[in-house]
Amino acid sequence: MNIILFKVALLLSFGMFFIPKKIKYSFGLLLHLMLIMASTSWAFAVLRGTILTLGLGVGTWSGPITLVIDQLSAYFMLIINLICLCGILYAGGYLQPYLPKKRSVFISLHLFSFLWLHGAMLLVVSMQDGIAFLLAWELMSLFSFILVIFEAQKEATLKTGINYLLQMHLGFAMIMLGFLIAANQTGDLSFEGVNNFFSQSDNVPLFLVFFAGFGIKAGFIPFHSWLPRAHPAAPSHVSGVMSGVMIKMGIYGIFRISSLLQNNLHTIGIIVLAAGIISGLLGVIMAIMQHDLKKLLAYHSIENIGIIGIGIGMGILGKSTGSNYLMILGWGGALLHTLNHALFKSLLFFTTGNVYYAVHKINMDHLGGLAKDMRYTSMAFLIAALAISGIPPFNGFISEFLIYNGILTQMSSSTFSHSILSVVSILGLVLIGGLCIYCFTKAFGLSFLGTRREEHPHPVQEVPAIMLVPAFILITCMLAIGLVPSFFVNEVVGVLQNLTHTTVNIDPLLLSLNSISYVNMILIVLIGGVIGLRAWQRSFVKVAVGPTWGCGYTAGDFRHQYTPTSYADSLRELADPLIQYHRVYKSFDEQEIFPLPKTFHTESKDLIEEKTILSWVHLIVNYLPKAGIAQSGLINHYLIYPMLFLLLIGFLIVLNIL
Amino acid sequence: MLSIILIVASVIFFPGVIVKTKALFSGRKGQDILQPWHDIIRLLKKGSVYSTSSSFVFQLGAPIYFATVIVAALFIPFEENNCIISFSGDFVFFAYLLGLGRFMIIISALDVSSAFEGMGANREAFYSLLMEPAFFILLGSLAMFTGYSSFYDIFASLHYNSYFSFIIAIIAAYVLANITLVETSRLPVDDPLTHLELTMVHEVMVLDHSGFDLGIIKIANNIKFILFSMLSANCLIPQSLDLWMRIGILFLMQVLFAAGIGWFESFRARNKMIMNAQYILSINAVAMILIFAVMIIKNKI
Repeated sequence: MNIILFKVALLLSFGMFFIPKKIKYSFGLLLHLMLIMASTSWAFAVLRGTILTLGLGVGTWSGPITLVIDQLSAYFMLIINLICLCGILYAGGYLQPYLPKKRSVFISLHLFSFLWLHGAMLLVVSMQDGIAFLLAWELMSLFSFILVIFEAQKEATLKTGINYLLQMHLGFAMIMLGFLIAANQTGDLSFEGVNNFFSQSDNVPLFLVFFAGFGIKAGFIPFHSWLPRAHPAAPSHVSGVMSGVMIKMGIYGIFRISSLLQNNLHTIGIIVLAAGIISGLLGVIMAIMQHDLKKLLAYHSIENIGIIGIGIGMGILGKSTGSNYLMILGWGGALLHTLNHALFKSLLFFTTGNVYYAVHKINMDHLGGLAKDMRYTSMAFLIAALAISGIPPFNGFISEFLIYNGILTQMSSSTFSHSILSVVSILGLVLIGGLCIYCFTKAFGLSFLGTRREEHPHPVQEVPAIMLVPAFILITCMLAIGLVPSFFVNEVVGVLQNLTHTTVNIDPLLLSLNSISYVNMILIVLIGGVIGLRAWQRSFVKVAVGPTWGCGYTAGDFRHQYTPTSYADSLRELADPLIQYHRVYKSFDEQEIFPLPKTFHTESKDLIEEKTILSWVHLIVNYLPKAGIAQSGLINHYLIYPMLFLLLIGFLIVLNIL
Repeated sequence: MLSIILIVASVIFFPGVIVKTKALFSGRKGQDILQPWHDIIRLLKKGSVYSTSSSFVFQLGAPIYFATVIVAALFIPFEENNCIISFSGDFVFFAYLLGLGRFMIIISALDVSSAFEGMGANREAFYSLLMEPAFFILLGSLAMFTGYSSFYDIFASLHYNSYFSFIIAIIAAYVLANITLVETSRLPVDDPLTHLELTMVHEVMVLDHSGFDLGIIKIANNIKFILFSMLSANCLIPQSLDLWMRIGILFLMQVLFAAGIGWFESFRARNKMIMNAQYILSINAVAMILIFAVMIIKNKI
């Protein structure tokens, strides 16, 4: 029954191109709801029971495509559905200004691709067969490409889109290579084949191939360079879904592969851990240097993928030492952080979209003072910022706490090298947490607080209520995880126990989590109490409003505020070798009697991208023009080339080489 | 419950002792030891002035900061006398809870659109991000040494079976004392009495808070001070003594610590701003020594 609903939704999507523009959105929403109904019912059935196998009724040359939904798939399905639902609801408001401007076919294509991205992600998490998995993976990349180039009339957007498409195919090639290597030895092009391969030979090389392939999607450094380009180019509901769930498909793949690993776990654990710590730290440091709000969030996705990587790495190390508790807590933290990051990152992208909707600017240098005009948007952004910094009583803390707890409980019994790794990962997590606070006080404080840095042509208003609905849904989920963590942790641990076929007693952890929820309640009550006390105190004293204290002088105007560049300055001194920061300005000329208006801004470079990708590209670009010698423009030269070619072939045949 | 009573008792006289010591060293008679509290009570009764550029965030900042410090106080044990809340990994929660307060106070400072407060906010965020690793390495190595990961269990079992623990305890107490100075922005990182807004950290962030809000921020700062000094006292006091003896030692240590800070602040100037990062990183380095000491004692190296 549900499989028919699923198929009908995907088939009906082609109708999108033939219906009037007005009802396209409602039609899209309906189809999304059909997908969500079908897949959510599967997911709940699987979380309560056993693996579900469903035939899709179509096939590839390797056989009919079947959906195999186990608990891990079900967990990811629920995340995909929640975020895609919020995304399509948000698109209802966000796309309004575009509707009159865009041609009908583009709107159809956009909504069609959005639906198919949703469907493709659901298929990715439920495919066991290699060919079908790669097919779903490719669909996901293609439709997200179409979504990214929604504003393709801008040249930069189109260029970014092509860059994105290329990088995704690089990842695709790596994953395919991984499956082929496994199939070559075992004759089985599927995850089962990978499993068999792992049981027979060295795990490290094949894991690295898969890690690179899935890592490009997830955005591990050094495979991250598409993220800070594609997210700012895409419309906000797309960035929200892409950063919220699509990059998590990479994490899904890494989880699948990690659960199959059988030997050399120690080495693999260290590799994943190192990738996690490096991605986390560099991601957040580069985020701090950004002025573009969406670019900042994109670098933050890299940081959060880093935290997930630390969790996965610790889990693999736990498996290597036979410490099931560490394995379940590390992977559990990573899996819960996947959900948490999906929640707060999509919320951050949606609220940033609200800012763009209201003022048509996204650069922090031009924002400021939005909290007074856009109260709900700024509250939502603030909550998401607190959550992403891992601050209680919100959800981000819970997943980081799981990883900490896993590391701390086995620290006293571990060997020297494991202790060092534990200390390094704790250090990484703490530094990431501190840098995250630094980054989000900057992002929130400078774009929403203070006074406007620039006058906006239109009066700034709160966005329509429809665009705030997803924010309320997401905040409710975030608070639920923050206040009742034991329920969610239990579910996640259940998924992992099912995946790894182990049982672990997590009662001490649940005890801690229950205490955390009590303390969170106390905290909230206390905050309410203090605010109430202040309100009571105000009933008999005078409360006045006045200008900001200017330290003996009259307070200056908006130009005296701290800017994004100055806020990031203290970190810049420490991290300069990594970020290649430089100022862009023209100084005053001595001869300049009547100075012209000058501009000043700062830029930072992505050193990793520069060294790993761009330097090679520049090398090739430099040498390719040398081949231009052959292109002389004279027809007689061009006639010689085929002649030379034939001669060459002739020689080779004579010499018996061909 | 005992630890809360001890925290309240210490917090009453602690700020007064610092001020009094400083007065005595500069040759003045000095104010009454309870004067800081009279000032705070006066503030609590006063009306407030809010900046025209501030929004709802500014209204939330001070109460949340205050509440986080109060809740953090519930985690502090006094050796084997149980504290109100304790669970494994509670020090992680403790640090992140203080992070919430810090986050709110930083964004309230940014809300008034003053360059001075922006400067303070930036420094607070930066120093605490450098400081936090030291705290985690410290507690992490104590967790490695004792095999527990909550404040209560760590301090209850720290001096249980070997005298090596005192080596650990002394380094830990030293690191914690330094963390106290940075967290509460005293010398050598920040001089709370200077009137050069350009060089201040914590005090400059709250320039625009007034009346009730400023009052609770000051209370919270005083409590924060006691929380960290209680932690270092917990490291040092051996459990074999009886309860009254230990309470006596605790108060003696608190008074000495306060007087020490007063003495220190009377005789030296604050660091150059640019040296602060180095100073904080050196505390981290000392904390790293601790972790290697623990590894050696536990026969891991």
